[in-house]
Amino acid sequence: MRRVLVLFLTLLLLWTLVAQLNHALTGLHVYLFVGGLYVTYAALMLPLAPGLAVCLLGGLLCDATTPVWFGTHLLLFALAHSILFHLRHRLPRDDSLAHIVAVLLTNLALFLLFSFTQIGDSPAPTAAWTRLVGDLVCSQIFLGVVTPWFFALQARALVVARAEHRDNLA
Amino acid sequence: MSLFRFAQAKPFVTLGLVAAVWLVVPAVVKTFTRATFFELTAPVTVAASYARDLQEYWSLRLHSNRELIEAGRDLARLNASYEFSVQQNTEMQAEIARLEELLHIPAYPNYRLEHARVVRRDFSGWWQDIVIRKGKNFGLPVGAPVVFTGGVVGRVTEVHATTAVVELITSPGVRLAGSVEGDTRPFSYQGGENPTFGPPIGVVNYVPLDVAATVAAPKRLVTSGLGGVFPPGLTIGEITSVTLGSDGLSKNGLVKLDDRLGSLTEVTVLVPLAPE
Repeated sequence: MRRVLVLFLTLLLLWTLVAQLNHALTGLHVYLFVGGLYVTYAALMLPLAPGLAVCLLGGLLCDATTPVWFGTHLLLFALAHSILFHLRHRLPRDDSLAHIVAVLLTNLALFLLFSFTQIGDSPAPTAAWTRLVGDLVCSQIFLGVVTPWFFALQARALVVARAEHRDNLA
Repeated sequence: MSLFRFAQAKPFVTLGLVAAVWLVVPAVVKTFTRATFFELTAPVTVAASYARDLQEYWSLRLHSNRELIEAGRDLARLNASYEFSVQQNTEMQAEIARLEELLHIPAYPNYRLEHARVVRRDFSGWWQDIVIRKGKNFGLPVGAPVVFTGGVVGRVTEVHATTAVVELITSPGVRLAGSVEGDTRPFSYQGGENPTFGPPIGVVNYVPLDVAATVAAPKRLVTSGLGGVFPPGLTIGEITSVTLGSDGLSKNGLVKLDDRLGSLTEVTVLVPLAPE
């Protein structure tokens, strides 16, 4: 329970920072989407139940602050978590580069799925993709930079809160 | 072997359960959860906006007395011209009221002006909205129009305890009735493209055939007043091109929206007043 709460607080911090960054970038019409970061650490490092709980809470946080059907992020994050959790034994979980690649691929998949659910409202869906590709490129670059920091923050937060998982202690 | 297979499928079985449970959760629980999570983030967002205001205050404190005196002089000139406009406006309002009474036509709705700071701007390729620092505590209703010095901003879509969410006219989901300035024939406006590093663009449909507009000679698009949300005559943008629609009976076109929509810091909510 403590582990879920601690990781949720780190997600709240991530949401705050990204919201402020997006606020500052509105003049340039650039938007950063970091869904991959909400899911990957919990899916790679935690057992199924607490990891999924963290992802669901992160999804609810994103759903509550965006004008989408309530549950869109929740279900997408749960889907991404399930796939990553299923594959995690084949991934080098202690390698920073592997973390970055996992986050980038997860974010790409989430961005595309999310776009397909939202693009219907646009009067010119084809033209809207130009903007979305621009946002995706900026988001991926941003993720490449912040992923090592955010993974370290989440790991450190668990250590400070004495809520580290036994696998990680070994 | 079967235990191993179940362990492999366990994440997907759990996912299926989560999805099934989420679909049967009553709407009232979802609404409550949404409000709870939004209110959880509201203090963070509002605190960040107060920090920005403080930063702006200290940067303004660095201005010299000479700059402040010059700014005060410019403001005094502006105030003089605004006072003259207010006097004219009062006379016109009285004239409108007299004509409404004489001709027995329904009066335009009156509004209370509620100025609010923007605490968060959220402009993605999927939606564009802002969060303002006033909500139920100032009696803002859902659906109230929001304006700024450049014209229409959008309308209030969610009202929370101390904040409200405003959907911008640049958002693809926004549709409203507009007309060319000086022409009463209404047509449809919809938020459209918001290209990266470029100005926001809206689209108009069902434009009358005799309306022509180019980049060199744009037409000002204003609210028509139909639909009851926006009062008539508020600027939406400039129609920069129109082309014949596929049905041949009307035209479609592009609308250049105000660049300042991307950097709003303060807006005004028009709160409808109950008719006397």
